[in-house]
Amino acid sequence: MIKENNIKFIFLTISVLLIILIFFFPFFWIITSSFKSPEEIIATSTTIIPRSFTLEHYNKILFSSDFFIYLKNSLIVSFSSMIISIILSLSAAYGLHKLKFYGNKFVEYSLLVTYAFPGVILLVPIYLLFAKINILNSYFALIIVNVLFATPFAVWMLKAFFKLIPNEIEEAAYIDGASRYVVISRIVVPLAAPGIASVSIFCFIISWTEYLFASILISGDNLKTLPVGLASIVGQYQIDWGFLLSGAVLASLPVILLFIFIGKYFVSGLTEGAIK
Amino acid sequence: MKKNNIEGWVFVSPLVIWISLVILVPIYIAFELSLFNVKIIGTTGKYVGFDNYIKLFGKSKFINASLNSLYWVIGNAICQTFFAFTIALTINYKFPGKKIMANWIILSFIIPTVVVVVIWKLMLSSSSGVINSILIDLKILDEATGFFSSPNKAFISLVLINSWRWSPFLALIILSGLNAINREMYDASKVDGANFIQQFFFITFPNLKSVLFVLGLVGTLLSFNIFDIIWLITKGGPSNATTTLPLLIYETAFTKFRISQAATLSIITSFLLLIFSIIFIKSMAPKEDD
Repeated sequence: MIKENNIKFIFLTISVLLIILIFFFPFFWIITSSFKSPEEIIATSTTIIPRSFTLEHYNKILFSSDFFIYLKNSLIVSFSSMIISIILSLSAAYGLHKLKFYGNKFVEYSLLVTYAFPGVILLVPIYLLFAKINILNSYFALIIVNVLFATPFAVWMLKAFFKLIPNEIEEAAYIDGASRYVVISRIVVPLAAPGIASVSIFCFIISWTEYLFASILISGDNLKTLPVGLASIVGQYQIDWGFLLSGAVLASLPVILLFIFIGKYFVSGLTEGAIK
Repeated sequence: MKKNNIEGWVFVSPLVIWISLVILVPIYIAFELSLFNVKIIGTTGKYVGFDNYIKLFGKSKFINASLNSLYWVIGNAICQTFFAFTIALTINYKFPGKKIMANWIILSFIIPTVVVVVIWKLMLSSSSGVINSILIDLKILDEATGFFSSPNKAFISLVLINSWRWSPFLALIILSGLNAINREMYDASKVDGANFIQQFFFITFPNLKSVLFVLGLVGTLLSFNIFDIIWLITKGGPSNATTTLPLLIYETAFTKFRISQAATLSIITSFLLLIFSIIFIKSMAPKEDD
Protein backbone atom coordinates (compact mmCIF):
# COMPACT_ATOMS: atom_id res chain seq x y z
CA MET A 1 0.00 0.00 0.00
CA ILE A 2 2.68 2.45 1.08
CA LYS A 3 4.73 1.63 -1.96
CA GLU A 4 1.87 2.32 -4.34
CA ASN A 5 1.19 5.67 -2.67
CA ASN A 6 4.83 6.61 -3.08
CA ILE A 7 4.76 5.84 -6.78
CA LYS A 8 1.57 7.86 -7.12
CA PHE A 9 3.17 10.79 -5.30
CA ILE A 10 6.22 10.74 -7.56
CA PHE A 11 4.08 10.52 -10.69
CA LEU A 12 1.87 13.35 -9.49
CA THR A 13 4.79 15.62 -8.62
CA ILE A 14 6.51 15.03 -11.94
CA SER A 15 3.38 15.64 -13.96
CA VAL A 16 2.42 18.79 -12.00
CA LEU A 17 5.89 20.21 -12.59
CA LEU A 18 5.88 19.26 -16.25
CA ILE A 19 2.45 20.80 -16.77
CA ILE A 20 3.61 24.04 -15.16
CA LEU A 21 6.76 24.06 -17.28
CA ILE A 22 5.04 23.23 -20.58
CA PHE A 23 1.70 24.99 -20.25
CA PHE A 24 2.39 27.98 -17.98
CA PHE A 25 6.03 28.92 -18.40
CA PRO A 26 5.57 30.16 -22.02
CA PHE A 27 3.09 32.76 -20.77
CA PHE A 28 5.50 33.96 -18.11
CA TRP A 29 8.12 34.17 -20.83
CA ILE A 30 6.26 36.30 -23.36
CA ILE A 31 4.76 38.59 -20.72
CA THR A 32 8.16 39.32 -19.15
CA SER A 33 9.79 39.56 -22.58
CA SER A 34 7.29 42.19 -23.67
CA PHE A 35 8.80 44.48 -21.00
CA LYS A 36 12.42 43.76 -21.95
CA SER A 37 14.61 46.05 -23.96
CA PRO A 38 14.86 45.15 -27.67
CA GLU A 39 18.49 44.08 -27.17
CA GLU A 40 17.61 41.66 -24.38
CA ILE A 41 14.75 40.05 -26.33
CA ILE A 42 17.07 39.00 -29.14
CA ALA A 43 20.13 38.36 -26.95
CA THR A 44 21.68 34.93 -27.44
CA SER A 45 22.26 34.33 -23.74
CA THR A 46 18.94 34.25 -21.97
CA THR A 47 18.22 34.45 -18.27
CA ILE A 48 14.90 33.53 -16.66
CA ILE A 49 14.83 36.74 -14.58
CA PRO A 50 14.55 39.81 -16.85
CA ARG A 51 17.48 42.22 -16.73
CA SER A 52 15.80 45.26 -18.23
CA PHE A 53 12.41 46.93 -17.93
CA THR A 54 10.80 49.21 -20.47
CA LEU A 55 7.34 50.32 -21.52
CA GLU A 56 8.47 51.48 -24.96
CA HIS A 57 6.81 48.59 -26.81
CA TYR A 58 3.44 49.22 -25.19
CA ASN A 59 3.83 52.90 -25.82
CA LYS A 60 4.43 52.26 -29.46
CA ILE A 61 1.56 49.82 -29.98
CA LEU A 62 -1.01 51.86 -28.04
CA PHE A 63 -0.16 55.30 -29.33
CA SER A 64 1.35 54.86 -32.76
CA SER A 65 -0.41 51.89 -34.33
CA ASP A 66 -3.91 50.89 -35.39
CA PHE A 67 -4.36 48.76 -32.27
CA PHE A 68 -7.57 50.44 -31.10
CA ILE A 69 -9.22 50.14 -34.52
CA TYR A 70 -8.46 46.41 -34.60
CA LEU A 71 -9.63 46.04 -31.00
CA LYS A 72 -12.94 47.76 -31.78
CA ASN A 73 -13.50 45.51 -34.82
CA SER A 74 -12.68 42.37 -32.87
CA LEU A 75 -15.03 43.35 -30.05
CA ILE A 76 -17.94 44.15 -32.39
CA VAL A 77 -17.54 40.94 -34.38
CA SER A 78 -17.04 38.70 -31.34
CA PHE A 79 -19.94 40.09 -29.30
CA SER A 80 -22.39 39.96 -32.19
CA SER A 81 -21.31 36.44 -33.12
CA MET A 82 -21.63 35.35 -29.52
CA ILE A 83 -25.16 36.70 -29.09
CA ILE A 84 -26.46 35.21 -32.32
CA SER A 85 -24.75 31.88 -31.60
CA ILE A 86 -26.27 31.68 -28.13
CA ILE A 87 -29.80 32.42 -29.29
CA LEU A 88 -29.65 29.90 -32.13
CA SER A 89 -28.02 27.16 -30.09
CA LEU A 90 -30.25 27.62 -27.04
CA SER A 91 -33.26 27.07 -29.20
CA ALA A 92 -31.73 24.12 -31.05
CA ALA A 93 -30.36 22.50 -27.91
CA TYR A 94 -33.72 22.75 -26.18
CA GLY A 95 -35.47 21.23 -29.18
CA LEU A 96 -32.99 18.38 -29.36
CA HIS A 97 -33.05 17.78 -25.64
CA LYS A 98 -36.72 18.03 -24.78
CA LEU A 99 -38.68 17.41 -27.94
CA LYS A 100 -38.11 14.04 -29.50
CA PHE A 101 -38.96 14.63 -33.14
CA TYR A 102 -38.53 12.80 -36.39
CA GLY A 103 -34.92 13.26 -37.46
CA ASN A 104 -33.48 14.46 -34.15
CA LYS A 105 -30.60 11.96 -34.15
CA PHE A 106 -29.80 12.96 -37.72
CA VAL A 107 -29.69 16.66 -36.78
CA GLU A 108 -27.54 15.89 -33.76
CA TYR A 109 -24.92 13.92 -35.67
CA SER A 110 -25.01 16.35 -38.59
CA LEU A 111 -24.15 19.12 -36.17
CA LEU A 112 -21.10 17.17 -35.03
CA VAL A 113 -20.08 16.47 -38.61
CA THR A 114 -20.52 20.16 -39.41
CA TYR A 115 -17.07 20.47 -37.94
CA ALA A 116 -15.89 18.71 -41.07
CA PHE A 117 -16.95 21.47 -43.40
CA PRO A 118 -15.74 24.69 -41.90
CA GLY A 119 -12.14 25.63 -42.33
CA VAL A 120 -10.37 26.02 -45.56
CA ILE A 121 -12.72 23.76 -47.51
CA LEU A 122 -15.39 26.45 -47.39
CA LEU A 123 -13.01 29.34 -47.83
CA VAL A 124 -13.00 29.61 -51.62
CA PRO A 125 -16.74 29.09 -52.18
CA ILE A 126 -17.73 31.36 -49.28
CA TYR A 127 -15.44 34.04 -50.63
CA LEU A 128 -17.13 33.79 -54.03
CA LEU A 129 -20.62 33.68 -52.52
CA PHE A 130 -19.99 36.73 -50.35
CA ALA A 131 -18.50 38.56 -53.31
CA LYS A 132 -21.63 37.78 -55.32
CA ILE A 133 -24.03 39.06 -52.66
CA ASN A 134 -21.73 41.97 -51.92
CA ILE A 135 -20.96 41.46 -48.25
CA LEU A 136 -17.18 41.09 -48.46
CA ASN A 137 -15.51 43.66 -46.23
CA SER A 138 -18.26 43.81 -43.65
CA TYR A 139 -18.64 42.71 -40.04
CA PHE A 140 -21.59 40.65 -41.16
CA ALA A 141 -19.41 38.41 -43.34
CA LEU A 142 -17.31 37.43 -40.33
CA ILE A 143 -20.34 37.01 -38.06
CA ILE A 144 -21.99 34.58 -40.48
CA VAL A 145 -18.89 32.41 -40.49
CA ASN A 146 -18.17 32.61 -36.76
CA VAL A 147 -21.68 31.48 -35.89
CA LEU A 148 -21.13 28.47 -38.11
CA PHE A 149 -17.94 27.59 -36.22
CA ALA A 150 -19.30 28.13 -32.72
CA THR A 151 -22.78 26.64 -32.74
CA PRO A 152 -22.23 22.89 -33.24
CA PHE A 153 -20.19 22.53 -30.07
CA ALA A 154 -22.35 25.09 -28.24
CA VAL A 155 -25.45 22.98 -28.89
CA TRP A 156 -23.67 19.89 -27.65
CA MET A 157 -22.61 21.62 -24.42
CA LEU A 158 -25.99 23.26 -23.79
CA LYS A 159 -27.79 19.97 -24.26
CA ALA A 160 -25.63 18.47 -21.52
CA PHE A 161 -26.50 21.36 -19.20
CA PHE A 162 -30.22 20.94 -19.88
CA LYS A 163 -29.94 17.30 -18.86
CA LEU A 164 -28.95 18.43 -15.37
CA ILE A 165 -32.27 20.23 -14.84
CA PRO A 166 -34.65 17.84 -13.09
CA ASN A 167 -37.63 17.01 -15.26
CA GLU A 168 -40.03 17.37 -12.31
CA ILE A 169 -39.55 21.13 -12.08
CA GLU A 170 -40.67 21.63 -15.66
CA GLU A 171 -43.50 19.12 -15.33
CA ALA A 172 -44.79 20.93 -12.25
CA ALA A 173 -44.84 24.23 -14.12
CA TYR A 174 -46.83 22.70 -16.99
CA ILE A 175 -49.37 21.31 -14.51
CA ASP A 176 -49.75 24.82 -13.11
CA GLY A 177 -50.68 25.90 -16.62
CA ALA A 178 -47.44 27.57 -17.72
CA SER A 179 -46.81 27.79 -21.45
CA ARG A 180 -43.70 26.48 -23.17
CA TYR A 181 -42.40 30.03 -23.50
CA VAL A 182 -42.82 30.76 -19.78
CA VAL A 183 -41.16 27.47 -18.81
CA ILE A 184 -38.16 28.20 -21.00
CA SER A 185 -37.69 31.84 -20.00
CA ARG A 186 -38.49 31.48 -16.29
CA ILE A 187 -37.19 27.99 -15.48
CA VAL A 188 -34.88 26.46 -18.07
CA VAL A 189 -32.75 29.50 -18.90
CA PRO A 190 -32.22 30.66 -15.28
CA LEU A 191 -31.39 27.14 -14.12
CA ALA A 192 -28.95 26.63 -16.98
CA ALA A 193 -27.38 30.08 -16.48
CA PRO A 194 -23.89 28.84 -15.50
CA GLY A 195 -23.98 26.58 -18.54
CA ILE A 196 -25.10 29.41 -20.77
CA ALA A 197 -22.30 31.59 -19.37
CA SER A 198 -19.68 28.99 -20.21
CA VAL A 199 -21.08 28.39 -23.68
CA SER A 200 -21.07 32.15 -24.26
CA ILE A 201 -17.38 32.31 -23.40
CA PHE A 202 -16.73 29.46 -25.79
CA CYS A 203 -18.55 31.28 -28.62
CA PHE A 204 -16.71 34.50 -27.83
CA ILE A 205 -13.33 32.77 -27.87
CA ILE A 206 -14.05 31.07 -31.20
CA SER A 207 -14.76 34.43 -32.81
CA TRP A 208 -11.98 36.27 -30.98
CA THR A 209 -9.31 33.87 -32.19
CA GLU A 210 -10.55 33.36 -35.77
CA TYR A 211 -7.86 34.28 -38.27
CA LEU A 212 -8.30 32.54 -41.63
CA PHE A 213 -11.64 33.95 -42.76
CA ALA A 214 -10.93 37.34 -41.25
CA SER A 215 -7.76 37.54 -43.33
CA ILE A 216 -9.50 36.69 -46.61
CA LEU A 217 -12.97 38.21 -46.29
CA ILE A 218 -11.73 41.58 -45.02
CA SER A 219 -9.33 43.68 -47.03
CA GLY A 220 -10.02 47.17 -45.74
CA ASP A 221 -7.55 48.28 -43.06
CA ASN A 222 -10.28 49.91 -41.00
CA LEU A 223 -12.21 46.62 -40.64
CA LYS A 224 -9.35 44.25 -39.78
CA THR A 225 -9.51 42.24 -36.58
CA LEU A 226 -6.73 41.89 -33.99
CA PRO A 227 -5.42 38.46 -35.11
CA VAL A 228 -5.10 39.70 -38.70
CA GLY A 229 -3.39 42.90 -37.59
CA LEU A 230 -0.98 40.91 -35.45
CA ALA A 231 -0.30 38.33 -38.16
CA SER A 232 0.80 41.05 -40.55
CA ILE A 233 3.67 41.82 -38.14
CA VAL A 234 4.57 38.12 -37.81
CA GLY A 235 5.02 37.90 -41.57
CA GLN A 236 7.54 40.71 -41.79
CA TYR A 237 11.09 39.82 -42.68
CA GLN A 238 12.64 41.80 -39.85
CA ILE A 239 10.37 41.09 -36.89
CA ASP A 240 10.10 43.87 -34.31
CA TRP A 241 9.83 41.45 -31.40
CA GLY A 242 9.01 43.97 -28.70
CA PHE A 243 6.19 45.43 -30.77
CA LEU A 244 4.90 41.95 -31.63
CA LEU A 245 5.05 40.65 -28.06
CA SER A 246 3.27 43.60 -26.53
CA GLY A 247 0.64 43.23 -29.26
CA ALA A 248 0.26 39.53 -28.44
CA VAL A 249 -0.18 40.28 -24.75
CA LEU A 250 -2.73 43.02 -25.44
CA ALA A 251 -4.67 40.83 -27.89
CA SER A 252 -4.96 38.13 -25.23
CA LEU A 253 -5.94 40.54 -22.47
CA PRO A 254 -9.68 40.86 -23.25
CA VAL A 255 -10.30 37.09 -23.23
CA ILE A 256 -8.21 36.74 -20.10
CA LEU A 257 -10.19 39.50 -18.35
CA LEU A 258 -13.45 37.87 -19.41
CA PHE A 259 -12.10 34.59 -18.15
CA ILE A 260 -11.18 36.04 -14.72
CA PHE A 261 -14.82 36.97 -14.15
CA ILE A 262 -16.72 34.08 -15.67
CA GLY A 263 -13.95 31.58 -16.32
CA LYS A 264 -14.77 29.41 -13.34
CA TYR A 265 -18.23 28.80 -14.81
CA PHE A 266 -16.58 27.79 -18.04
CA VAL A 267 -14.25 25.28 -16.45
CA SER A 268 -16.71 23.89 -13.90
CA GLY A 269 -19.42 23.87 -16.55
CA LEU A 270 -17.18 21.97 -18.88
CA THR A 271 -15.95 19.52 -16.27
CA GLU A 272 -19.06 18.96 -14.19
CA GLY A 273 -21.93 19.29 -16.59
CA ALA A 274 -20.77 18.35 -20.01
CA ILE A 275 -21.26 14.61 -19.93
CA LYS A 276 -24.09 12.96 -18.11
CA MET B 1 -42.01 9.12 -25.51
CA LYS B 2 -44.48 11.14 -27.53
CA LYS B 3 -43.08 12.76 -30.66
CA ASN B 4 -43.35 16.53 -31.04
CA ASN B 5 -42.52 16.72 -34.70
CA ILE B 6 -43.62 20.24 -35.54
CA GLU B 7 -42.53 21.88 -32.31
CA GLY B 8 -39.19 20.12 -32.37
CA TRP B 9 -38.40 21.36 -35.85
CA VAL B 10 -39.53 24.89 -34.97
CA PHE B 11 -36.88 24.99 -32.25
CA VAL B 12 -34.15 23.42 -34.32
CA SER B 13 -34.80 25.02 -37.70
CA PRO B 14 -33.29 28.51 -37.20
CA LEU B 15 -29.87 26.96 -36.56
CA VAL B 16 -30.32 24.21 -39.13
CA ILE B 17 -31.26 26.77 -41.81
CA TRP B 18 -28.34 29.05 -40.91
CA ILE B 19 -25.81 26.22 -41.04
CA SER B 20 -27.23 24.63 -44.19
CA LEU B 21 -27.19 27.94 -46.06
CA VAL B 22 -23.62 28.68 -45.07
CA ILE B 23 -22.44 25.17 -45.95
CA LEU B 24 -24.64 23.89 -48.78
CA VAL B 25 -24.73 26.99 -50.98
CA PRO B 26 -20.93 27.33 -50.98
CA ILE B 27 -20.54 23.59 -51.59
CA TYR B 28 -22.84 23.92 -54.60
CA ILE B 29 -20.82 26.87 -55.88
CA ALA B 30 -17.61 24.92 -55.37
CA PHE B 31 -18.98 21.92 -57.25
CA GLU B 32 -20.06 24.09 -60.17
CA LEU B 33 -16.63 25.75 -60.25
CA SER B 34 -14.87 22.41 -60.20
CA LEU B 35 -16.45 21.58 -63.56
CA PHE B 36 -15.08 24.70 -65.19
CA ASN B 37 -11.64 26.04 -65.80
CA VAL B 38 -11.70 29.31 -63.86
CA LYS B 39 -8.43 30.87 -62.84
CA ILE B 40 -8.72 34.34 -61.36
CA ILE B 41 -11.73 35.14 -59.16
CA GLY B 42 -14.44 36.95 -61.06
CA THR B 43 -13.54 35.66 -64.52
CA THR B 44 -15.37 32.86 -66.35
CA GLY B 45 -13.71 29.76 -67.68
CA LYS B 46 -14.74 27.07 -70.12
CA TYR B 47 -16.60 23.90 -69.19
CA VAL B 48 -14.23 20.98 -68.69
CA GLY B 49 -16.43 18.35 -67.02
CA PHE B 50 -14.58 16.14 -64.58
CA ASP B 51 -11.16 16.97 -66.06
CA ASN B 52 -10.07 18.80 -62.90
CA TYR B 53 -10.77 15.71 -60.83
CA ILE B 54 -8.93 13.34 -63.14
CA LYS B 55 -5.89 15.60 -63.39
CA LEU B 56 -5.76 16.01 -59.62
CA PHE B 57 -5.15 12.36 -58.82
CA GLY B 58 -2.00 12.30 -60.91
CA LYS B 59 -0.56 15.37 -59.20
CA SER B 60 2.26 14.63 -56.78
CA LYS B 61 1.39 17.78 -54.82
CA PHE B 62 -2.05 16.42 -54.06
CA ILE B 63 -0.71 13.04 -52.98
CA ASN B 64 1.99 14.70 -50.88
CA ALA B 65 -0.54 16.96 -49.14
CA SER B 66 -2.93 14.06 -48.49
CA LEU B 67 -0.16 12.05 -46.86
CA ASN B 68 0.93 15.07 -44.82
CA SER B 69 -2.66 15.51 -43.65
CA LEU B 70 -2.83 11.87 -42.65
CA TYR B 71 0.42 12.12 -40.66
CA TRP B 72 -0.76 15.41 -39.20
CA VAL B 73 -4.03 13.93 -37.91
CA ILE B 74 -2.34 10.81 -36.53
CA GLY B 75 0.55 12.75 -34.94
CA ASN B 76 -1.83 15.18 -33.30
CA ALA B 77 -4.11 12.39 -32.09
CA ILE B 78 -1.22 10.62 -30.38
CA CYS B 79 0.30 13.75 -28.81
CA GLN B 80 -3.00 15.24 -27.74
CA THR B 81 -4.27 11.99 -26.23
CA PHE B 82 -1.08 11.72 -24.22
CA PHE B 83 -1.05 15.36 -23.04
CA ALA B 84 -4.78 15.54 -22.43
CA PHE B 85 -4.90 12.36 -20.36
CA THR B 86 -1.86 13.42 -18.36
CA ILE B 87 -3.46 16.77 -17.57
CA ALA B 88 -6.90 15.32 -16.84
CA LEU B 89 -5.63 12.55 -14.56
CA THR B 90 -3.32 14.97 -12.75
CA ILE B 91 -6.02 17.56 -12.13
CA ASN B 92 -8.31 14.76 -10.98
CA TYR B 93 -6.02 14.32 -7.94
CA LYS B 94 -5.84 16.65 -4.95
CA PHE B 95 -2.71 18.80 -4.61
CA PRO B 96 -2.01 22.37 -3.53
CA GLY B 97 -2.87 24.78 -6.32
CA LYS B 98 -5.12 22.29 -8.09
CA LYS B 99 -8.00 24.77 -8.42
CA ILE B 100 -5.83 27.44 -10.01
CA MET B 101 -4.31 24.94 -12.40
CA ALA B 102 -7.73 23.56 -13.36
CA ASN B 103 -9.05 27.06 -14.08
CA TRP B 104 -6.06 28.38 -15.98
CA ILE B 105 -4.73 25.35 -17.83
CA ILE B 106 -7.04 26.33 -20.67
CA LEU B 107 -5.10 29.57 -21.26
CA SER B 108 -3.41 28.17 -24.36
CA PHE B 109 -6.84 27.52 -25.89
CA ILE B 110 -8.47 30.89 -25.18
CA ILE B 111 -5.76 33.10 -26.66
CA PRO B 112 -5.77 33.82 -30.41
CA THR B 113 -3.87 31.32 -32.56
CA VAL B 114 -1.70 34.16 -33.77
CA VAL B 115 -0.52 34.65 -30.19
CA VAL B 116 0.30 30.93 -29.99
CA VAL B 117 2.40 31.44 -33.09
CA VAL B 118 4.17 34.45 -31.58
CA ILE B 119 4.92 32.55 -28.34
CA TRP B 120 6.50 29.58 -30.07
CA LYS B 121 8.29 31.55 -32.76
CA LEU B 122 10.04 33.42 -29.98
CA MET B 123 10.65 30.41 -27.73
CA LEU B 124 11.92 28.23 -30.57
CA SER B 125 13.88 30.92 -32.40
CA SER B 126 17.21 29.57 -33.58
CA SER B 127 19.16 32.73 -32.79
CA SER B 128 17.78 33.78 -29.42
CA GLY B 129 15.16 31.22 -28.40
CA VAL B 130 14.95 30.22 -24.76
CA ILE B 131 14.41 26.53 -25.62
CA ASN B 132 17.69 26.44 -27.49
CA SER B 133 19.59 28.03 -24.62
CA ILE B 134 17.99 25.68 -22.09
CA LEU B 135 18.86 22.64 -24.21
CA ILE B 136 22.42 23.89 -24.61
CA ASP B 137 22.74 24.55 -20.85
CA LEU B 138 21.52 21.02 -20.16
CA LYS B 139 24.15 19.76 -22.64
CA ILE B 140 21.44 18.09 -24.75
CA LEU B 141 22.48 20.22 -27.72
CA ASP B 142 25.94 21.44 -28.67
CA GLU B 143 24.77 24.44 -30.65
CA ALA B 144 21.48 26.18 -31.41
CA THR B 145 19.26 24.28 -33.81
CA GLY B 146 16.59 25.58 -36.18
CA PHE B 147 13.37 23.89 -35.15
CA PHE B 148 11.70 24.68 -38.47
CA SER B 149 14.70 24.23 -40.74
CA SER B 150 14.45 20.58 -41.77
CA PRO B 151 11.25 18.87 -43.02
CA ASN B 152 11.01 16.42 -40.11
CA LYS B 153 11.88 18.89 -37.38
CA ALA B 154 9.38 21.42 -38.74
CA PHE B 155 6.60 18.85 -38.92
CA ILE B 156 7.18 17.55 -35.39
CA SER B 157 7.52 21.06 -33.95
CA LEU B 158 4.20 22.04 -35.52
CA VAL B 159 2.44 18.93 -34.21
CA LEU B 160 3.72 19.74 -30.72
CA ILE B 161 2.69 23.39 -30.94
CA ASN B 162 -0.79 22.49 -32.13
CA SER B 163 -1.10 19.87 -29.38
CA TRP B 164 0.00 22.47 -26.85
CA ARG B 165 -2.92 24.62 -27.95
CA TRP B 166 -5.61 21.92 -27.94
CA SER B 167 -4.70 19.42 -25.20
CA PRO B 168 -5.87 21.49 -22.21
CA PHE B 169 -9.31 21.93 -23.74
CA LEU B 170 -9.56 18.20 -24.48
CA ALA B 171 -8.32 17.50 -20.95
CA LEU B 172 -11.25 19.41 -19.46
CA ILE B 173 -13.70 17.41 -21.56
CA ILE B 174 -12.05 14.16 -20.46
CA LEU B 175 -12.26 15.47 -16.90
CA SER B 176 -16.01 15.85 -17.29
CA GLY B 177 -16.16 12.19 -18.21
CA LEU B 178 -13.97 11.28 -15.24
CA ASN B 179 -16.26 13.19 -12.89
CA ALA B 180 -19.23 11.22 -14.13
CA ILE B 181 -17.62 7.89 -13.15
CA ASN B 182 -19.00 6.45 -9.95
CA ARG B 183 -16.37 6.77 -7.18
CA GLU B 184 -17.55 3.51 -5.61
CA MET B 185 -16.20 1.52 -8.53
CA TYR B 186 -12.67 2.62 -7.60
CA ASP B 187 -13.19 1.76 -3.95
CA ALA B 188 -14.62 -1.65 -4.81
CA SER B 189 -11.71 -2.43 -7.14
CA LYS B 190 -9.24 -1.37 -4.46
CA VAL B 191 -10.79 -3.89 -2.06
CA ASP B 192 -10.24 -6.47 -4.77
CA GLY B 193 -6.58 -5.48 -4.94
CA ALA B 194 -6.45 -3.53 -8.21
CA ASN B 195 -3.59 -1.01 -8.58
CA PHE B 196 -4.00 2.37 -10.25
CA ILE B 197 -2.78 1.18 -13.63
CA GLN B 198 -5.36 -1.62 -13.67
CA GLN B 199 -7.98 0.87 -12.51
CA PHE B 200 -7.15 3.10 -15.45
CA PHE B 201 -7.55 0.37 -18.05
CA PHE B 202 -10.53 -1.45 -16.54
CA ILE B 203 -12.59 1.36 -15.01
CA THR B 204 -11.50 4.79 -16.24
CA PHE B 205 -10.99 4.06 -19.91
CA PRO B 206 -14.15 1.98 -20.60
CA ASN B 207 -16.30 4.52 -18.77
CA LEU B 208 -15.07 7.34 -20.97
CA LYS B 209 -16.42 5.77 -24.14
CA SER B 210 -19.05 8.37 -25.00
CA VAL B 211 -16.64 11.24 -24.30
CA LEU B 212 -13.93 9.63 -26.35
CA PHE B 213 -16.38 9.07 -29.21
CA VAL B 214 -17.12 12.77 -29.51
CA LEU B 215 -13.47 13.69 -29.03
CA GLY B 216 -12.35 11.14 -31.60
CA LEU B 217 -14.75 12.49 -34.20
CA VAL B 218 -14.62 16.20 -33.54
CA GLY B 219 -10.93 16.14 -32.62
CA THR B 220 -9.95 14.45 -35.86
CA LEU B 221 -11.96 16.86 -37.97
CA LEU B 222 -10.67 19.85 -36.02
CA SER B 223 -7.04 18.92 -36.33
CA PHE B 224 -7.50 18.12 -39.99
CA ASN B 225 -8.77 21.67 -40.48
CA ILE B 226 -5.86 23.41 -38.76
CA PHE B 227 -4.54 26.08 -41.06
CA ASP B 228 -3.34 29.21 -39.29
CA ILE B 229 -0.67 27.68 -37.04
CA ILE B 230 1.03 25.95 -39.97
CA TRP B 231 0.62 28.82 -42.41
CA LEU B 232 1.90 31.50 -40.05
CA ILE B 233 4.96 29.51 -38.99
CA THR B 234 6.24 27.58 -41.99
CA LYS B 235 3.97 28.56 -44.91
CA GLY B 236 3.94 24.82 -45.72
CA GLY B 237 7.69 24.48 -46.06
CA PRO B 238 10.49 23.49 -45.96
CA SER B 239 10.07 21.83 -49.36
CA ASN B 240 6.31 21.29 -48.84
CA ALA B 241 6.90 19.05 -45.82
CA THR B 242 4.19 20.80 -43.82
CA THR B 243 1.75 21.44 -46.67
CA THR B 244 -1.43 19.70 -45.56
CA LEU B 245 -4.60 19.69 -47.68
CA PRO B 246 -5.97 22.92 -46.12
CA LEU B 247 -2.72 24.69 -46.99
CA LEU B 248 -2.73 23.30 -50.50
CA ILE B 249 -6.28 24.57 -51.05
CA TYR B 250 -5.36 28.00 -49.73
CA GLU B 251 -2.22 28.20 -51.83
CA THR B 252 -3.96 27.03 -54.98
CA ALA B 253 -6.71 29.61 -54.58
CA PHE B 254 -5.03 32.66 -53.13
CA THR B 255 -1.41 32.56 -54.17
CA LYS B 256 -1.60 30.64 -57.46
CA PHE B 257 -5.10 31.90 -58.36
CA ARG B 258 -6.38 28.60 -59.73
CA ILE B 259 -9.89 28.87 -58.38
CA SER B 260 -11.34 25.84 -60.15
CA GLN B 261 -8.51 23.62 -58.98
CA ALA B 262 -8.97 24.83 -55.42
CA ALA B 263 -12.70 24.18 -55.64
CA THR B 264 -12.03 20.64 -56.89
CA LEU B 265 -9.68 20.07 -53.96
CA SER B 266 -12.33 21.38 -51.56
CA ILE B 267 -14.98 19.04 -52.94
CA ILE B 268 -12.73 15.99 -52.76
CA THR B 269 -11.60 16.88 -49.25
CA SER B 270 -15.16 17.35 -47.97
CA PHE B 271 -16.10 14.06 -49.55
CA LEU B 272 -13.23 12.28 -47.79
CA LEU B 273 -14.10 13.84 -44.43
CA LEU B 274 -17.77 12.98 -44.86
CA ILE B 275 -16.93 9.35 -45.53
CA PHE B 276 -14.62 9.28 -42.53
CA SER B 277 -17.37 10.75 -40.32
CA ILE B 278 -20.02 8.30 -41.49
CA ILE B 279 -17.76 5.30 -40.93
CA PHE B 280 -16.70 6.65 -37.55
CA ILE B 281 -20.28 7.27 -36.39
CA LYS B 282 -21.56 3.94 -37.72
CA SER B 283 -18.82 1.93 -36.08
CA MET B 284 -18.07 3.84 -32.89
CA ALA B 285 -21.27 5.59 -31.80
CA PRO B 286 -22.05 4.54 -28.23
CA LYS B 287 -25.43 2.85 -27.74
CA GLU B 288 -27.99 5.21 -26.22
CA ASP B 289 -29.35 3.94 -22.96
CA ASP B 290 -32.17 6.43 -22.43
